[in-house]
Amino acid sequence: MKTLHFIVIVLFVVATSCTIDKTDFEAEISVETTEYVDFKEAASVTTGNYTISIEALNGTFYKGYNEIHLKIFNKQTGENLEDLEVNFLPILTDTNGNKVSCPHKYNLDYDTSEGYYLGYSVFTSESDASANWKLYINFIDNNQTHSVNQIISVEKQTNMNLNMTSFTGNNNEQYFIALISPQKPRVAENELVAGIYKYNQPTNVGGVFPDPSQFSYSIVQGHTLLLDPRMPEPSMGNHSSPNNKNLTQQSDSLYYGVVNYTMTGNWTLNFIFQNQDGQVIKGTEVPTDFTPGIEGAKSELYIDILF
Amino acid sequence: MKLITFIILVALVTVVNAQETPIKKDSSVTVLDEVILIAVRKKKIETEMKMAVSVDEFLASSDNISFIKRGAYAWEPLLNNMSTERSTITIDGMHIFGACTDKMDPVTSYVESNNLSEIDITSGQEGSMHGATVAGSIDLKRKSTAFGLSKKWSGAYQTGFEFNNNQYFNLGNISYSSDKLVAEGSISYRKAENYYDGENNEVNHSQYDKFNTSVGIAYKTSPLSSIKVDAIFDKAKDVGFPALPMDLSLSRALITSAAYKQFFENKLIKVWDTKIYFNAVEHYMDDTTRPENLVHMDMPGWSTTYGLVSKINLKKENYASEIQLNAYDNLSIAEMRMYPQDRSERTMFAYSWPWVTTRYAGLSVNNSWDISKKSLLNFGGTFGVNYNYSKYVDFNWIFNPGASQKKTRFLPNLYTSYQLNIADFNFSVGGGYGHRAPSVSEGYGYYIYNSFDRYDYIGNPDLKNEISYEANASAGFKNNKGSIQAKINYFYIQNYIIGRILSLGSPMNYQSVGVKGYTSLDYASLFNFSLNTKYTIFKKLHWKGMLTYARGLDDNKNNLPFIRPLSYQTSLHYSFKNLGLFTSLNGDLKQINYSPEYGEDETPSYTNWNISADYTFYINNYRTVLQVGAENLFNEFYSTYADWGNIPRMGRNVFTSIKINF
Ligand SMILES: [Cu+2]
Repeated sequence: MKTLHFIVIVLFVVATSCTIDKTDFEAEISVETTEYVDFKEAASVTTGNYTISIEALNGTFYKGYNEIHLKIFNKQTGENLEDLEVNFLPILTDTNGNKVSCPHKYNLDYDTSEGYYLGYSVFTSESDASANWKLYINFIDNNQTHSVNQIISVEKQTNMNLNMTSFTGNNNEQYFIALISPQKPRVAENELVAGIYKYNQPTNVGGVFPDPSQFSYSIVQGHTLLLDPRMPEPSMGNHSSPNNKNLTQQSDSLYYGVVNYTMTGNWTLNFIFQNQDGQVIKGTEVPTDFTPGIEGAKSELYIDILF
Repeated sequence: MKLITFIILVALVTVVNAQETPIKKDSSVTVLDEVILIAVRKKKIETEMKMAVSVDEFLASSDNISFIKRGAYAWEPLLNNMSTERSTITIDGMHIFGACTDKMDPVTSYVESNNLSEIDITSGQEGSMHGATVAGSIDLKRKSTAFGLSKKWSGAYQTGFEFNNNQYFNLGNISYSSDKLVAEGSISYRKAENYYDGENNEVNHSQYDKFNTSVGIAYKTSPLSSIKVDAIFDKAKDVGFPALPMDLSLSRALITSAAYKQFFENKLIKVWDTKIYFNAVEHYMDDTTRPENLVHMDMPGWSTTYGLVSKINLKKENYASEIQLNAYDNLSIAEMRMYPQDRSERTMFAYSWPWVTTRYAGLSVNNSWDISKKSLLNFGGTFGVNYNYSKYVDFNWIFNPGASQKKTRFLPNLYTSYQLNIADFNFSVGGGYGHRAPSVSEGYGYYIYNSFDRYDYIGNPDLKNEISYEANASAGFKNNKGSIQAKINYFYIQNYIIGRILSLGSPMNYQSVGVKGYTSLDYASLFNFSLNTKYTIFKKLHWKGMLTYARGLDDNKNNLPFIRPLSYQTSLHYSFKNLGLFTSLNGDLKQINYSPEYGEDETPSYTNWNISADYTFYINNYRTVLQVGAENLFNEFYSTYADWGNIPRMGRNVFTSIKINF
């Protein structure tokens, strides 16, 4: 009888325990993507009685799109300064002393409900020994202009879903496309958000550094970014997904579209960038054939993502 | 969920313990014994041709069953020429769902011939007793030993060898019966290598290896009541599927139940039988055995079901009724993980069944009214509620944006039939109406690769119920020399679910040519005809013949796939003293009405000639039967209309087996 007991129990344990564990889907997606939702202080500068605090997601500036929250605090009066005119300018200096900037919001707006000045900066490279990023901030309080600057560190973008690309269009203008959302895509229909910017060639000779007219960028208005997502891996044979939507500009000036990911893994977002008149500024159509064993061809304008 | 597992475990242990208590003789048990004895099934799972058949071979001897074959193992039974989504397949009324998205594991693959007593095949809506259906039901009846048999211990052992694929098998079963306690068990092991086709070419990846065991313990709790616990454990490993791009590395199923049965004396209610059950299936496919696959893919699947069946039988004078409550909860999960050629790269992952829950509850009534000695009216129906939930509905939304994550469907099923016997003639007419819900794959499948038409299939959660209108009739004649019976049925199926090419999306699986989505045709119609004859030429020589024909059309009058062409079977059986001789001829005519749209091509006709001989003798009073025979004696090279990818069938196969009963 004891053996029968034993057999019954063993039978149960054997069959209710699986040989291969089921995949933990949440963990599966988290392997390659980190999602940051909290803004923390990434830099702070003190000048006179003022302390300026600059916040970014996870308290870090990353290569790519960074939303910037800036707070100005008067140590003497103990108050947060609201509705000032605030200017924000990031400058990259290389070993030869060449200075360039990146897409950014120069005049920061005060957000009353949130209590900070809102801006953004699309850092085009990481800080390293040969190049450093410095923030130049001006604000006017009581009719007095305060200027500060601060070296910051721009870290490598670890989340490929926030990748960016910069390119020269067929019109010889310089453009930047930075992914903003989703940070953590799902095997699903995902809203795809990107910022599209353009470098404005200076028309006059520069004044005293930093002269913002020499480092001017603007948001590209009313263009369209045609989207064709594909899995480039040869084994996936140029696999794509249905029901995607091209990116168009919405009221917050960002570009919104829809991308469907049919499975996790490497994806390439192939783009064709068109102006208001439908003229192609950059990008080529990719073949749509299913070609197993051959690495998928990419558009001349694309961003690789991974999740 | 764990709780139910625990309860069943406790129940099993309790019964095992109960056996330890001394058993007192009880003289007032006769009532129960008699009733249970009636339920003892005399039939055996064997055919006239072959006594050591597999479950599939046994089913194949039925006139309304055909098979889709993907290899030598686990054939998918088609009932009335309809695939398994349209029929309910149960084991003693218990629902089990395979864990393979590619249908490598029909329910019939989880049992073995030595733990079954018979297979109940019910055509059309009369089969809705066990759940909503269109085609009918196949109920695999487990062996069940009666209490208080005069012979306390009995059993059988069977072994054999088949030469074509070097298959050897060992099947054993044993039972113990006392007044209070019954215990029975079976164990079997089959192992086969690749088979050879009619041109003597080896069909690679057609091997298999199957182990199956079962235990059952019943205890009489009172003169009129008993409890019973049952378990089947089945394990198949290293099973080749020559017609598919991958094989099976391991498949395991545990099928358990605990039942309580109460008899009533001199009451309207005769029996109340209630059973709770649990079964878990795991299925792991393997494509590393196929070097031609450039992409390696893991595709594990799991299916877990909990359920309840409760049934009462009523009888009064010429009226009998059966009322049954059926409820189950199933969770089906299937994953696919693709490995890039550069193994350092990230793998790619998706669910082909995104954690799909199916809950069904149905109340069925079966009535049988003997209007007169000559005529009988059967009528009944089921009202069922079917609920589906897709946990990772995002996957379904990719092709069906905004589709429902939860879906409740009402599934009514109704039938009636009238039987009339006049002298040696019998007639019947009947009709039915019923709904069925889409299967997990049809509703929620995601990139399920179908190697027959080479499309990736996508489910649609919002498919309409499939609605069947059915008519059937039969006529027969029987006397002591022979019999002839003709049966026809016709199904008009609204919202017939089938895959249609989608213009969006692109394939995911390496061999695939496109994407198909499950959609509903306006309607499809199906017609089945069968003719069975038997004739006793002289006392020891019997002739049997069978003819079947079917036709299936979609709403554009195009052929439906997997419809059997005209098929025939004719056999002679001769017995003399302890010797039996059998020969049969069977085949299909050319498949004219094939469906190129669904990947079919014209299949030529074929004929198989089979012979066998058996000899019965006694070893120490143990009845022993020795059999030798050959299937496909002409070594014909052929494949049938339903052979996946036209893989050739087995060529000449000489088989031997011996069975000892004790
Ligand atoms: Cu499988």
